[in-house]
Amino acid sequence: MANVMEAHDLAKRFGDLVAVDGVGFSIAPGETYGLLGPNGAGKTTTISIIAGLLEADAGKVEVGGETISPSAIGPKRRMGLVPQDLAIYPDLTARENLHFFGRLYGMDNNEVKERSNRVLEMIGLTDRADDLTKEYSGGMKRRLNIGIGLLHGPELLILDEPTVGVDPQSRNAILEAVEALSGEGMAVLYTTHYMEEAERLCDRVGIIDQGRIKAEGTRRELVNLVGQKDRVTIAAAGGQLQEAARRLSGLEGVEEAGADDQGITLLVVEAGRLLPVILSELSQNGISVSGVTIEEPDLEAVFLHLTGKALRDV
Amino acid sequence: MKPFTIAWVNLKRLFRDRSTYFFVFIFPLALILLIGLQFGGDFLPQVGVLATEEGTTATEIVDALEAEPGLEVVPLRTEAELVDQVERGNLDAALTIPAGLDQSLAAGQPAELGFIARPGGTGAALAPVVGEVVQRSLLAANAAAFVSVQGLGDFPTSVALAQQVENGIPAAEVTEETVGESLFPASLGRFDLGASSQLILFMFITALSGGAVLIQTRQLGLSRRMLSTPTSVTTIIGGEALGRFAVVALQGIYIMIGALLIFGVHWGDPVAAIAIVLVFSAVGAGAAMVIGTLFRNAEQAAGVGIMVGLGMAALGGAMLPLQLFSPTLQRIAHFTPHAWASDAFAKIRDQGNIIDIAPELGVLAAYAVVLILFASWRLRVAITRP
Ligand SMILES: Nc1ncnc2c1ncn2[C@@H]1O[C@H](COP(=O)(O)OP(=O)(O)OP(=O)(O)O)[C@@H](O)[C@H]1O
Ligand SMILES: [Mg+2]
Repeated sequence: MANVMEAHDLAKRFGDLVAVDGVGFSIAPGETYGLLGPNGAGKTTTISIIAGLLEADAGKVEVGGETISPSAIGPKRRMGLVPQDLAIYPDLTARENLHFFGRLYGMDNNEVKERSNRVLEMIGLTDRADDLTKEYSGGMKRRLNIGIGLLHGPELLILDEPTVGVDPQSRNAILEAVEALSGEGMAVLYTTHYMEEAERLCDRVGIIDQGRIKAEGTRRELVNLVGQKDRVTIAAAGGQLQEAARRLSGLEGVEEAGADDQGITLLVVEAGRLLPVILSELSQNGISVSGVTIEEPDLEAVFLHLTGKALRDV
Repeated sequence: MKPFTIAWVNLKRLFRDRSTYFFVFIFPLALILLIGLQFGGDFLPQVGVLATEEGTTATEIVDALEAEPGLEVVPLRTEAELVDQVERGNLDAALTIPAGLDQSLAAGQPAELGFIARPGGTGAALAPVVGEVVQRSLLAANAAAFVSVQGLGDFPTSVALAQQVENGIPAAEVTEETVGESLFPASLGRFDLGASSQLILFMFITALSGGAVLIQTRQLGLSRRMLSTPTSVTTIIGGEALGRFAVVALQGIYIMIGALLIFGVHWGDPVAAIAIVLVFSAVGAGAAMVIGTLFRNAEQAAGVGIMVGLGMAALGGAMLPLQLFSPTLQRIAHFTPHAWASDAFAKIRDQGNIIDIAPELGVLAAYAVVLILFASWRLRVAITRP
C-alpha cells in the first residue's frame, strides 16, 4: 500500500538560520514514526511544512498522493495536527472548541456531535466538556489540544511534543491514547525529545539534529549503529564538565563523551574495565561524582554516537 | 459555510465577555441620553439680547428671535455682561438694541443695532440668521415709520396696524422663508444629532477594538490551526472579516433601534439608515483588520484602536457637529469616514432617501474596499509566514 506521507529533501531557512536542511522520510499506513531531536533541531519546522502551514524553500511533501502547500485543501482533510503550543479558544468550552474545528474539517452538525462525544470520552474530559477551557488545568488543555487533532479521524495524526509540561499521569494517558489510535490503524507522526517516548511508541524513528536527519530506522536498527557499547551516565557537579568530557573522549575505549549541566554521558566499549580510570580522571579534575549508571545501548546512546551530544530531558 | 462558522465563533466569544454588554450596548445609549439631556439645548446656538429700553420694536425683535427655532435667546442686562459672556464663549453671539429705537424709526432715522460674535465658528455663522430676523421684525416698524412720517397717524397705532397687516396671508410667507436659514433644521429633536454622532463614534471604536481579537486569535495559534484544516486562507480571512463586520453592524442596528424606541430619535428613511450602518460597518471591519495586522500585541492594538477611534470621531464630526467646523477643518474632516457617514445621516434626517446619499455611501464603500483589501493582503502574510 502507498505511503500516507512522503517528504523529500525539505529545506527551510529563517534568514541566515538553516532550520531544516534536506529532510526526507515517509510514513506507511498505520505506522508510528518518531522524530527524535533536541530543542531547535527543526522538528516543528518540518512538521509545519508537512501540515501545510509553512511553505518550504525546497523539497516536496505528498499526502495521500497529493502535494501539500499552505493553499492545498484536499490533503489537509487526511491529516490532523496537534500543535506543540496549545491552540484552543480559552473562552469557549471543550465541546465548543471541538464543534468549531469539526465544522472546519467539513463535518455536519450531527457528525460533529457524535465524534465530539467519543473524543471527549477518549481524552477523559466528558465531565468537564461544558466548562470554559480557561478554567482547565494545563494537562486538561493539552488533552483537548490533542482531541481537536484527532476529531475527524485523520489517516495521519501529527503530534508535536504533546507531552511537554504534562504531569506523569496525563502523560501516560496521552501515550496510551496514541498507542490505541495506532492500534486502530491511524498513522502517527510523533516528535519528541524524550527518548523513552520514541522507544515506546514508534515503529521507526528519525534522529534529527540541526535540521538534518542523522539516521533513521527501527529501534534495533538504530541501536546496532552503536555496536556493543554501554552507555555510562555519570551524575556529577563542580569543575569543568565540558572540558572533562573532552579529555575523557581521548581515553582508549571511550567512543563518545558529552556533558550537560547534570553530568557526563559516555559511550564505552568495556564499561566495567574502564570505569575506575574514568572516575580517577574526574576526581583529579576536581569533579565530584554523585552517581554512575551503566546501560545497554538505547536511542540516547545512538544520539550521542551520531552527534557527540547528550540528548537530555529538559 | 465556513466563513459563517468563523464569524459565528467571533460573535459567540464577544457575547461571552460581560464587558461587551456594557461597552457595546448599554454605554452608547446611556451617552445618547446624557448628551441629549445635558447638551441637547447647547446644540442650539445661544444668542444674548441686550435691550437697553423697553419698546414696541425691541419687544418685536426679541419675540421674533425667540420664535426662531434654530437658536436660543438669552436676555442680558448690561453691556459688560454681554461682552463677558460672548468672550467666554457662553454665548455664541449677542445683539444690542439701542435705546430710543421706536423714536428714531418713527422719525425716519436709520437705527443701528449692534451684533457681536467671536470670530469664526457658530457666532459668525449666526450673523445672517439674526440679521434676517431683525429685518423681518423691522418690517412692521418700517411700515409704521413710513405711515408716521407721512403724517397719517401716530407711531404706536401705526405699528399695531402694520402688524395686523403683516399677520395677514401675504406676510405669513415671509416668516416661513427664514426657517431654512437656521444652522440646524427646526425639526432636529434634542437627541437626533447626538444619536447619529454616538452611533458613528461607537461603531468605529467597537470595530477598532476588534482588531485586538484578530491579533489574539493569531497569538493563540488558532489562525494556524484553522489553516491546518481543509480551509483556505481566503476563507479564514473572510470569516474573520465577516465576524468583525457582524459585531459592528449588530451594534449599529441595536443603537439605531434602541434610540428610536427609547428616545424617539428621528433617523429618517429606514432603508437608507440601515444602508449607512451596513456600509459603515464594512469600513469598521476593514479598519479593524488593518489594526489587527499592524500590531503584534493585542493590548497595544486595543489601546491604539481606542485612541484612533476617538481621534477620528473628533475630527470627523462625531463629537462636535461638522457645521461648527471652519471650512478648512470641514475639508480635513472629510478624510475620515465619520464625516461622510455624518453627512449621510444629516441628509436622511432632512428627508433624504438612499438615492440622495449615494455619493456618501459610495465614498464609504470605497473606504471599506481599500481597507479590507489592504488588510487581507497583510493578514495572509501574517498567517502563512509566521
Ligand atoms: N518563525 C521563525 N523565525 C525564525 N527562526 C525560527 C522560526 N521558527 C523556528 N526558527 C528557528 O529554527 C530552528 C528550528 O526550530 P524548530 O521550532 O523547528 O525546532 P524544534 O525541533 O521544534 O525545537 P523544540 O524541541 O524546542 O520545539 C530553531 O533554531 C528556531 O530558532
Ligand atoms: Mg518544536
